Amino acid sequence: MSDSISTFSLLHSQFASIEVDAPSKALIDPSRTPYGESTRGPVGSNARRIDGVEKVTGTALYGADLFFDRADLFAQVVRSEIAHGRLVGINSEKSLKVPGVVAIYTAKDAPGTNRQGLIHRDHPVLVEDRILYRGDAVAIVVAETEQAAQQGRDAVEVDYEKLPVIATMDDALAPNAPKLHLDGNIMGGKRIRKGDADAALDASDLIVSETFVTQTVDHAFLDIEAGIALWDGHHLTIHVSGQWAHEERRLIALALGLPIESVRVICPATGGAFGGREDLSIQVYLGMVALRHSNKTIAMRYSREESMRARHKRHSLRIHYTVGAMEDGTITAAKITVYSEEGAYASTGPAVLRKAASHATGPYRVPNVHVDVYGVYTNNNPTGAMRGFGACQMAIAYEGMMDRLARQLSMDRRELREKNLICSGEAVTTGQIIPLATGVECLDAAWQQFERGAGKEKPLAAHQRRGVGMSVICFGLGYGDGFPDASRATVKFAPSGRLEVYTGGVEYGQGLITIMAQIAAEELGLTTNEVDVIWADTHRTSESGSSSATRQTYFTGNAVKIAASELREQVLDAAGRLIQVHQHEVDLVGGFVVGRFDPQIKRPLREIVAAAAERGFDLTGQGIFKPRTVCEDFDTGQSPRSFITYLFGAHIAQVVVDIETGEVRVERFIACHDVGKAINPQSVEGQIVGGATQGIGMALMEEVVMKEGRMLNANFTDYILPTFRDVPEIETVTLENDDPGGPFGARGIGEPPLIAATPAVLNAIGNAIGVMPHTTPCTPQRVWELMNPELALVSSGVRMLGLPDHARMAR
Amino acid sequence: MSDTATENGAWRLLCTVNGQPVDLQVPAHETLLYSLRERLGLTGTKGSCLEGECGSCTVIVDGEAANSCLLLSPQVQGCSVETIEGLAEGKKLHILQDKFLASGAAQCGYCTPGLIVAAKVLLERNPKPTDDEFFEGMEGNICRCTGYKSICEAVRAAAVEWKRN
Repeated sequence: MSDSISTFSLLHSQFASIEVDAPSKALIDPSRTPYGESTRGPVGSNARRIDGVEKVTGTALYGADLFFDRADLFAQVVRSEIAHGRLVGINSEKSLKVPGVVAIYTAKDAPGTNRQGLIHRDHPVLVEDRILYRGDAVAIVVAETEQAAQQGRDAVEVDYEKLPVIATMDDALAPNAPKLHLDGNIMGGKRIRKGDADAALDASDLIVSETFVTQTVDHAFLDIEAGIALWDGHHLTIHVSGQWAHEERRLIALALGLPIESVRVICPATGGAFGGREDLSIQVYLGMVALRHSNKTIAMRYSREESMRARHKRHSLRIHYTVGAMEDGTITAAKITVYSEEGAYASTGPAVLRKAASHATGPYRVPNVHVDVYGVYTNNNPTGAMRGFGACQMAIAYEGMMDRLARQLSMDRRELREKNLICSGEAVTTGQIIPLATGVECLDAAWQQFERGAGKEKPLAAHQRRGVGMSVICFGLGYGDGFPDASRATVKFAPSGRLEVYTGGVEYGQGLITIMAQIAAEELGLTTNEVDVIWADTHRTSESGSSSATRQTYFTGNAVKIAASELREQVLDAAGRLIQVHQHEVDLVGGFVVGRFDPQIKRPLREIVAAAAERGFDLTGQGIFKPRTVCEDFDTGQSPRSFITYLFGAHIAQVVVDIETGEVRVERFIACHDVGKAINPQSVEGQIVGGATQGIGMALMEEVVMKEGRMLNANFTDYILPTFRDVPEIETVTLENDDPGGPFGARGIGEPPLIAATPAVLNAIGNAIGVMPHTTPCTPQRVWELMNPELALVSSGVRMLGLPDHARMAR
Repeated sequence: MSDTATENGAWRLLCTVNGQPVDLQVPAHETLLYSLRERLGLTGTKGSCLEGECGSCTVIVDGEAANSCLLLSPQVQGCSVETIEGLAEGKKLHILQDKFLASGAAQCGYCTPGLIVAAKVLLERNPKPTDDEFFEGMEGNICRCTGYKSICEAVRAAAVEWKRN
């Protein structure tokens, strides 16, 4: 604990030394921040992934790879065929006659609360009465083979009483709409009140208003939900990919009525998550079956269709955005009303609402802000966590408004942004002062990269138009808003002499374990080849929070650094005793204990560790990183420290639009991010490129299509993902302005690249065709209809029910 | 063909996988992906979309890249099948595997076996692909988390050293 306190107070003393009342570009010169720590080992190098060889040889074991030779029984879930109604009865007679079928379980067989849900426990594992979406689980079929389980599943007969389907937010908000939950169809809300937005809008020279509609998005990770479970009479062990093993353990125990410590969650190799593994998937089904069939290994996996039909999605937001400005381009006020489609259950919706509100004006200086965000239940898939988490939808809106303002003011888009971007020492929407705000630097660096490559384009055909768009975003890292947020780590020498790092964090491809190995190796003067990382096993590792919110490098990175530096002290202490010198006279370099002043001293670290172990030293360092954030005020949304730190980035997209077909091709793409310190530059670039690619997908093609509660494109043939041909070679620029609280100055990079990418592409389309997009994705049809509104066959998706008063204020 | 169908409707599959002869009884409607993974334990080949859109299940059948989720096992009767497990020689990685590692082209790693196998087919035919030929060879494979930049880099780096193999 003492380590976390000292880190926390250190942070405060650094923040306290910054003058906050005189915003100015010169307040902090980012190139001369004093927080940098010099590194001489693997931190800052492109260390190869420590799980890389397994992955390129196909020997890494993902959930579905555990079936071979291990499974005794297979489970399948019977899902509701209706989106809204009551479960009247289940007839399992035919199913039980299918050869190989062993048992069928329903809600009556649930041993615990039969409830799951990350924030509210509102989602029945197996339906008891009410059905709220077509993914609700009705029964579980257990069989000796997977095929028999599938046949058994299809043979279960379910009687329903249908109720009217609430297919859209408009249906849900209509008078006399059936109530989906006890307290109605509004899940909750969140507001920001800062200054006097109404008065400021009145006094503005210009008011611009727009309604944006963002789509429902699927995570589409490639590694479909799959895993195994075993109940041995004492412990329930579940091998299923998730994003927060320790929280999953708590939720599983609760749903199944087990003591938490008798559940063990082990995360196998995980092929992507993007927020899609934050809610529980198959864990409780597996556990429920395992408890009934002790000492049998139970296996289960989804098909792609079931994965897409059952899982939560990214929130579709309807954003009514009104912004005021003076003639010189100074933004005066923003009034924003957001309706967020929550689907059937809350999932992480309440947190997404909060993030959407606190990121409503992004990195811009808006003195008067009025935001209302509402979550609305429907009978569609629950919506929850996905990379960007409320912030990416708001970036589409605030960046779209910047281009609209620039157009109305006949101002250069970059100049307007630079004029209104916050500088170091200024506040974001929530009132939190940002000590190091580098939006302007990011935009400048991105623009310089853009200009370096400009002028090499192919000439356009008559039916083509070219456009350039830009975006600047900021993102609060971690859970924030006063939510407890902690990472723990243990670093120790194994009997073999290898260094071991233990973290509860989940590696799903982002490079977490390699980065943790780099940090530990740096502290102990080793290379990553000498480090093993044991991760996301609730019986072997301590809790490190979720792999989400762009938090692992910052949080677990700090915990590992604290633990490793404690271990380093122990090793130096032991070495000092063994070599008969003061511990300050020796150092750890390249696997050796060396004299700082006496070149004669050079002993292999391994030897010192072995000797220390022989003498009974337990060389183990532990670290906890638990910085505090302050809850946003309920009435105003203001907080002095809602997030531990903020990340900045700027993207530039160049597109070519075919004006005959509406097709958009991204021709060039530049992504600039201030990452604090790139612990592994290659990994950072991988996150930027991967995130930008998903953002381009969100801008142009990805869209979950629902009709009366049925997902029409629950497969990869109809749910369109970016391919090799859809993305140009993304040019990355990284700025490294040390973060005062991050390990070696590192911030985080997971989510910002997706957030910035989508608005850059939309603004480029607007620039190309002269009409600004407002609905995502910009499919050829939507783009064509923007250019030919009089010939539009379908409305672009903007419905006017519930249009707030401010949406009519434009002048 | 009838000599390979047994009386109970199962199929006697005779082929080679990574050079090893295979003699298996499989249901005639079983996919090659299933036979490889669940009967032979070659779980390096991944299933993801299970309908031929994503390429995670790519294997090589008589020198051609093929989606093993779409092929029925009887369709590879007498064929030579290569999977990701057949590329490395002991601990020595195949050049493509090495370049994927060096370029950071494997993040979550789930698409990686299929991509490496597809790239092998591409470069074996054409070690100097133009951009268009490159895309034609690789576009059947979807990567969701890495983006495509480092994958392109890895395949191009392997192409440079290809002749030396």
